[in-house]
Amino acid sequence: MATISQIQGTGLGLKRELIPQIQSLYGQEQLANIHFVEIAPENWISAGSKAARQLDWFVERYPVVCHGLCLSLGGLSPLNVDFLQQVRAFLHQYKIPVYTEHLSYCTDGFKGRQGYLYDLLPIPFTEEAVHYVAQRIRQTQDILGQRIGVENASFYVAAPISEMSEIDFINAVITEADCLLHLDINNIYVNSVNFGFDPHAFLRHIPGERIIYSHMAGHYRQTPNLLVDTHGENVIDPVWDLLEDAYRLFGAFPTLLERDNNIPPLGVLMHEIDKIADYQSKASQRSTAFQHAAELMTG
Amino acid sequence: MAELAGFQRYQLAFTARLRDPQNQPPLAGVPDERMAVYEEIVFNNLFESVSACFPVARKVLGKRRWLKLNQAFMRDYSANDPLFRSIPAQFIEFLQLPAPGLQQLPPYFISLCHYEWVELSVASAAAAVIQEAQPAVDLGHGRPVFSPSMQLLNYEYAVHRISPRHKPRQPESTQLLVFRNADDHVKFIELNAVTYRLISLLQDQPLSGRQALTLLANELQHPQPESIIEFGLSILEDLRSQGVIIGTQD
Repeated sequence: MATISQIQGTGLGLKRELIPQIQSLYGQEQLANIHFVEIAPENWISAGSKAARQLDWFVERYPVVCHGLCLSLGGLSPLNVDFLQQVRAFLHQYKIPVYTEHLSYCTDGFKGRQGYLYDLLPIPFTEEAVHYVAQRIRQTQDILGQRIGVENASFYVAAPISEMSEIDFINAVITEADCLLHLDINNIYVNSVNFGFDPHAFLRHIPGERIIYSHMAGHYRQTPNLLVDTHGENVIDPVWDLLEDAYRLFGAFPTLLERDNNIPPLGVLMHEIDKIADYQSKASQRSTAFQHAAELMTG
Repeated sequence: MAELAGFQRYQLAFTARLRDPQNQPPLAGVPDERMAVYEEIVFNNLFESVSACFPVARKVLGKRRWLKLNQAFMRDYSANDPLFRSIPAQFIEFLQLPAPGLQQLPPYFISLCHYEWVELSVASAAAAVIQEAQPAVDLGHGRPVFSPSMQLLNYEYAVHRISPRHKPRQPESTQLLVFRNADDHVKFIELNAVTYRLISLLQDQPLSGRQALTLLANELQHPQPESIIEFGLSILEDLRSQGVIIGTQD
């Protein structure tokens, strides 16, 4: 069974379009830097026999991590416990050691039901929201019997009622929930442009020892002041600079490339994954204290 | 719902606006062009998921009415399933609510949507545990075992022939069989009423092919039951060659 300590190096977000290419090139030098893959449980839970066969193939060959989309940690409806039980069974069935989710919400409890809106909406950064979200993360961890990672989300609207900055909100939630951080480097950059802050200063306040792994991705520049997190473009230089800075601050942590739209051939994506590996090899090793902390925390 | 915290009241105003940008007020202190990003992303996601599943229904309704129907889906329906794959099934549930989107939909419309959705659902259904079946031989003496993905469909309209140029003017009772073959392809077979009844009998009761056909001949009060049995066995044989019947049990 894959364990959390096997989530190392560089990885790739698994899209259905890429599966045939990965399967046909498996074992070749070209793919050497795919050390782990990530799936969204919402796309794979009870997805049919063909999907199950594909997932079996990957689980036998790669450590797999789960990155959820619809748990709605900040949502207005009660946490979907039935769904979480499904996630728990799914993680168990495929021996997946890691589950992460977004610091966002996608349900509004409309008409007394969940009211899924199927997108990542921004939680206002208030004191009450910290306690609310932290409590739901704890509830999730209790149900799953393991710590989860939460990802800093990208967003486009700053709530006028917010009482604190995003980084203070993230830190407060993570501390209160005692969970791990799934650090999205591109999202820091996207938000820094959308809301005018210094992404490198943001990075310095990240609790590095809680990083379980990170995301790299591209985005769409709608206007000079508005970036949309499409995962449909190549990673741009300022985001590479942020990754380098993060490795310098915290040591090299596992990092995965996300590409969800406008997907080029696998070979093109491998250039970006190889580049991440390159940055990792130039960075110092993550201190063993960090590694141990991360492992203990999933306990 | 318990009393809402301040941040939740804001969230509720936020999602109300996403659900109905044309009628809900903009949020104080939020730039329109920023809110528009969410309004577009959230609606387009839903619209694309729905449109991808119902290509014929979409064309039959026409661009403008299809858009309005989807806007109503966004505004009036509360989705309860976190799996994206479930969106088309939830759309069908929405269509069955009273006056979905206050539109007068064609009388065949829900059947057509259901027919289009079945293809997707059979393609992605989890594999049922395949029963023990002998590869078999004698469909008359054994109990035919059907592919676990098989479903019988009964519509009031000839849904499989509907297109923008062929909109049914009146009902036409239609029986279809859908299943996923060994290559994971979804296949539809048009059935006549007698074959539909034969398969229903075999699905509902533990009968051999011959027993089911004898029952059927009785139901039809056919003067020469043996000819029904012979004809029926050739139909079962045909279903076997297509992979609908995967074998027999004793």
